[in-house]
Amino acid sequence: MSIPTLPDAFVEKHAAKGWPVGLAGVALVIIGTFMSWSFDPNILGDLSVYGYPGGLQILAIILSLLALVLLLTVKGPLASRLGQWLDAALGLRALGLWLLIYMVGVILAIATDSSGLVNVDPGGWISFVGAVLVFAGSQVIPLRELRDLGRARLPGWFEIAAVAVVMAGVLFGAAYALAREDAWSFVLVLVFAGGTVAAMFRTGTMGWFGHVATRRRKVLTLAAFAVAFFFPFTQQGSDANMSIATSVLIFAATAIGLNIVVGLAGLLDLGYIAFLGAGAYVASSLSRSAFATIDWHPPFLVIVLLGGCVSATLGLIIGTPTLRVSGDYLAIVTLGFGEIFRFSMFNLDGNNGPNLTNGPNGIPGIPELAVGGFNFGDEHVVAGITLGRFSNYYFLLLLLMAFVILVFTRLNNSRIGRGWVAIREDEKAAEAMGVNVFGLKLLAFAVGAFLAGLAGTIKAHQDGATSPDQYIFLESAFLLAAIVLGGMGTIAGVLLGATILKLLPEKLRFFSEYRLLLFGLTLVLMMRFRPEGLVANKRRLLEFHEEDEKLATAVESELVEEAK
Amino acid sequence: MDQFFQQLVNGLTLGSLYALIAVGYTVVYGIVQLINFAHGEVFMIGAFGALSTYLLFFDGQTGVWILPIMIVGAIIASVVTAVAMERVAYRPLRNAPRLAPLITAIGISVFLQELVRVFYDRIPFADFPSAKQRIPFPQLDGVSGKAVEVGDVTIQRSAIFTVAALVVCAILLWYFINRTKLGRGMLAVSQDPDTARLMGINVDRIIVVAFALGAVLAAVAGVSQGLQNNNIDFKMGFIAGLKAFTAAVLGGIGNIQGAVFGGLVLGVVESMATQYVPGQFGGGTWKDVWAFVLLILVLVFRPQGLLGARVVDRA
Amino acid sequence: MTVTDEVRSPARASGQPLLEASGVTMQFGGLLAVNDVNLSVHEGEILGLIGPNGAGKTTFFNCLTGLYKPTRGQVRFNGVPLAPKPRAVVEAGMARTFQNIRLFANMTALENVMVGRYCRTSSMALTSILHGPKYRKEEAATRARAQELLDFVGLGRSSEHLARNMPYGDQRRLEIARALATDPKLILLDEPTAGMNPLETRQASDLIFKIRDSGLSVVVIEHDMRFIFGLCDRVLCLVRGETLVEGTPIEVQSDSRVIEAYIGTGESDDEDAGQDTPAGGDEEGKS
Repeated sequence: MSIPTLPDAFVEKHAAKGWPVGLAGVALVIIGTFMSWSFDPNILGDLSVYGYPGGLQILAIILSLLALVLLLTVKGPLASRLGQWLDAALGLRALGLWLLIYMVGVILAIATDSSGLVNVDPGGWISFVGAVLVFAGSQVIPLRELRDLGRARLPGWFEIAAVAVVMAGVLFGAAYALAREDAWSFVLVLVFAGGTVAAMFRTGTMGWFGHVATRRRKVLTLAAFAVAFFFPFTQQGSDANMSIATSVLIFAATAIGLNIVVGLAGLLDLGYIAFLGAGAYVASSLSRSAFATIDWHPPFLVIVLLGGCVSATLGLIIGTPTLRVSGDYLAIVTLGFGEIFRFSMFNLDGNNGPNLTNGPNGIPGIPELAVGGFNFGDEHVVAGITLGRFSNYYFLLLLLMAFVILVFTRLNNSRIGRGWVAIREDEKAAEAMGVNVFGLKLLAFAVGAFLAGLAGTIKAHQDGATSPDQYIFLESAFLLAAIVLGGMGTIAGVLLGATILKLLPEKLRFFSEYRLLLFGLTLVLMMRFRPEGLVANKRRLLEFHEEDEKLATAVESELVEEAK
Repeated sequence: MDQFFQQLVNGLTLGSLYALIAVGYTVVYGIVQLINFAHGEVFMIGAFGALSTYLLFFDGQTGVWILPIMIVGAIIASVVTAVAMERVAYRPLRNAPRLAPLITAIGISVFLQELVRVFYDRIPFADFPSAKQRIPFPQLDGVSGKAVEVGDVTIQRSAIFTVAALVVCAILLWYFINRTKLGRGMLAVSQDPDTARLMGINVDRIIVVAFALGAVLAAVAGVSQGLQNNNIDFKMGFIAGLKAFTAAVLGGIGNIQGAVFGGLVLGVVESMATQYVPGQFGGGTWKDVWAFVLLILVLVFRPQGLLGARVVDRA
Repeated sequence: MTVTDEVRSPARASGQPLLEASGVTMQFGGLLAVNDVNLSVHEGEILGLIGPNGAGKTTFFNCLTGLYKPTRGQVRFNGVPLAPKPRAVVEAGMARTFQNIRLFANMTALENVMVGRYCRTSSMALTSILHGPKYRKEEAATRARAQELLDFVGLGRSSEHLARNMPYGDQRRLEIARALATDPKLILLDEPTAGMNPLETRQASDLIFKIRDSGLSVVVIEHDMRFIFGLCDRVLCLVRGETLVEGTPIEVQSDSRVIEAYIGTGESDDEDAGQDTPAGGDEEGKS
C-alpha cells in the first residue's frame, strides 16, 4: 500500500502551499457535512438534511478532524509537542487519499442508487472539493526525519488507556458497521476504518501501539475479550448480526486449531474440515433429533468431550503418514482423508454400509442445546437488553474461543512450541538434537483435531442440521485461506482473516456471485505479495524472506529490546 | 469372464484419460519439482475450449471432421491457461517455501472454476449456455453413438477414441522428447537445471514448454471426457485432477512412461473394484473412496511409484 | 604449544570404552562408503578422525549418530548397543554438530540451545497448557541452563540474536552449545574449524579442551592437521572408507602411509592436483 508521490522538485516548489490548502480542505469538508449531500433521503441512511450533520457525514467530519490534528502537528500549536514523534506528513497523505476515496464512494453511491449525479446535493460537492484539497495539499507537504515512535516511553496508565480506547473504538466501530443495512453504507464505513488505520500506520501510531500491545499483552487480551463480551449488548436484541458473529466465531476457532497444524508445526492439512465434521456428526448422532442414529443421549459436556476425542483420534490416524510423508505429498494425503470422510458420511445411509449418518440427507432437526435448565433457544433479558438465541451460542463459543486461544498460545510458548519451530526450520537437525519429530507432528494433528471437534459439537446444535455438503474441500480451503490471509502462527491474524472471509460475503451480498472468484484471486495475490499474511508472525516473516538481511536485522533488534 | 473383460475395457478407457492428464503433472514435476495442483483445471478448460469452438463455428453439425478442429480449440484454451498460470503465479514463487506454490495452486484452481462458472455465458460476441449446470457436449458421427460389440463386451466409440488418442499422444510425446532439440533441452534441465543453464539452455522457456506440453495432453483428455460423458461442467477438473495425480505418483512422478502406466493401472483397479469389491462397501458409491485409499497408500508406502524410476525428494 | 603438552597426559585408564563401534560398514548401492571400521572412545578422551576428502568420515559419523543405519556392524555406548535412531543416540548421551552448520536459522541463540534441552525435559502438551508451578520451574531451568551454556562457549551476550545473523565462528560455537545442551557424555564435532582463521581456530581448540575438562569425551573430524595433532589423544585415519592407521598423534603423523594417502589420493584420482597444486605438499608440511 504505497502512496504514489509527486516528483521532489514539484514538492519543493509548492511546499509552502500545502498547509493552507489542506486547512481550507478540512474547512470545506466540514462545512459540506452541515448541508445536504443527497437529494433522495433514502440513500445511505438520510443525508438530505440541512443544518446539522448526520450518519455517514459524521464519519467524514472525524476523518477531517484527524487531518486537522495532523496539519496542526506539521505547523501550529501541536508542532512543538508531537512534531518530532508523529510522522504527520505521511499520515496526512494517507488520510487525504482515504478521505478522497470516501467522498468518491459517497458520490458513486448516491449516483448509482438513484438516477445519476444530479441527485448529489451541493453539500456533497463541497465536501468532495474539500477532500480533493486535503489530498492535494498533503501531497506537497514535505517529509521529515523523525524519531522512532516505538522508542517513546509514556506513563503506564496512558498505555493502558490507549489500549482501552482502541478496543472501545473497535467495539463501537464493529457495532456501527454491522448496523449498516445497505452494502454501500457498509463499504463506506469500511473505507472510514481503512482511512483511520492507514493514518495510524503512516504516522507511526500503529507501530507504537504494537509495542504497547506486546508490553501489555494481558491488558490487551482482557480488553479484547471484554469487547467481544459486550458486543451482543450493542445489537438491541437483533439476531441478524449475532448469527454472523457466531459463524465467524466457529470458523475462527476452527481456523486457530488449524493454525496449530499449519502455522506452528508447519504441516499443511487440506482435509481439516473433516474434524469439524466429525465433532458435528458425533453431536448430531447422539442428539435427540428424530433422525439421530444412536439411541444414547448423554449430557452435553460428555458429547463435547466425546466429539473432541473422536476428532482427535481421526487426527492421529491422519497424522500417522507424517512418519513417512511430508510436504506436498502430505497435503494430498490429508486432502484424500478429507474427501474420504465426506464420501463416507455421504454413503453410510444403511444401503451402503451401516446407517450412521443418514447419507446425503444428513441429520436435520437437532434440538437446541440445553445445559442444566438453560435452553439455548430461549431469549433472555439482561439489563434491559434482549439477548436472543444466537447470543446464547455466541457466549458459549466465546468460552470455546478463550480455551482455543489459551491452548494455542501456551503450546506455542512452550518446549513443544520450540520443538515445532525446530522441525519447521530443519527437521534433520531437530531429530539429531533429540526432538521427537514424529511425536510432535502427531501431537499437532491431534490437538488441532480435538479443538475442531469441540467446535463441531456446538456447530451441530447451532445449525440445527448436519449434512455431508457442509464439509467439502472448499471449506478446508477457506480455513486455510483465513490463516494465509491473516497470518500463519498468529491469533490476531486468524481472527482478522476469519472475520474478513465470513463477514464480507454476508454484508456484501451483491458480490456473492463473485465471492469464490475473489477468494481464489486473493489466495494467489497473497502468496505473491504478502505470503506472511496481514498480521505477520515474526518468525514466519523471516521464513518467507530468507534472503532479506535488513528484515532479519530489524526483527533482531526488536527481539533484543523485548528481552530487556 | 465377460464381466472381467468388460471391466478391463472400461478400466483401460478410464485409465487412458487419467494417463493423458497425469503426463502433465509428471512433465512439470520433472522440470521444476513443482506439483501443479491446478492442472485439473487446465483439463476442464480444455473441454470448454472444445465446446466453445463447436458452438461458435459448427453448432448443430455432426460431421467427424469437426473433431480435429475442436481438439485444436481445446489445445489453444488449455495451453494459454497453463502458460499464463506459470508466468503470472508460479514463476515469481520459484524460490519461495513450498507451502506458497501449493496454496497458490488452490487459489488458481478455485479462480479458474469460478471464472468458467460465472462468465461462460457472459462472453461477448458468443451465445454460450450458462455453465452453472452441466452443459451437453456435442456428439459427433463416428466417435459417439452406437457402441461396438465384441462378443459380449460393449465398447463405446468414445472409448476407442480415448485409447487411440493416448496412443497417438504417447508416440508424439516420445518423438518430441527424444528427437527434437527442445525435447532434449527438457531432458537436460530435468537432469540438472543449473548446468543446463550454464550450457546455454533457456530454462525459463523450457519450463513454459513443459507446462504447455502437459496442457496439450490435458486438452485432448478434456475432449475425450466430453465425448464419453456427453456433458461437461466446471467442477470436472477437481476429482479427475486428483486421480490423475494419483496415477502420476503411482507411475513414479517425473517419469513419463510411468504416468501412462500409472494411469492405466489406476483406471483398471478402479473399474475392477466397482465390480469385485463385495457387499455394501462395493459398487459405484464407494469407488471414489477406494481411489483415495489407493492414493494414500501409494503416497505413504511407495512414493517413488510402482516403477520406482525416480527417487522423490519431496516425500 | 603449551596447551598441547597438557593433552599428552595419558587418557584416564578405564576398563570399558564409552563408545565402541565394531565392524561398521555402510554401503550405498554399489558404493562402499565405510568398510569395517572399528573405533573405541574412552572417557575424557579426545579422538581425531582424519582422512582425505571422500574418505567416509562424515558418513561414519552419521552411522554413529543414527542418521544412517549401518549396513553391518554395531555401535555400543556405555556397553549397551545403540539403536540407529538419532533420538535414541542423543538420549543415550551422544550429541553432534554438522559439517555445514545446521542451526535453526530463524530462532535466537538462546532458543537454539533451549531446543537442545528438549530431550532432557519432559513437560508435554497438557502440562504446558495447564502452566502449573512444575512446568514453570522446568521452563525457567531450561532457560537458565541454556544461558549458562551460551556463557560457557562465550556467546553469553548474544543470547537474543538470531542465529542467521551471527558471524560464522559464533554459529559454530552456538552449534556446540546446542549439542552440549543435550547433556552428552560424548560430543562429535564435524569439522569445527572449517573456514576459520588461525585465531578462531585457536579459540576453537581452547573450547574443545574446556569441554573435555568438564568431563566429556570428544570425537573431532578435521582437515587441519596441525589443529588435530595438537588437540587429540588419539587419531584415526580413514582412507576410502577403511581404517588406515590408528594411534597417538606422533605415531600417525610419522606414518608413511598417512602421508602417502594424502598425497597419493591426489595422484591417483587427479593427475594435475597431485603434481602441481600445493595442496598435497601443504598438508605434509603442516604435519
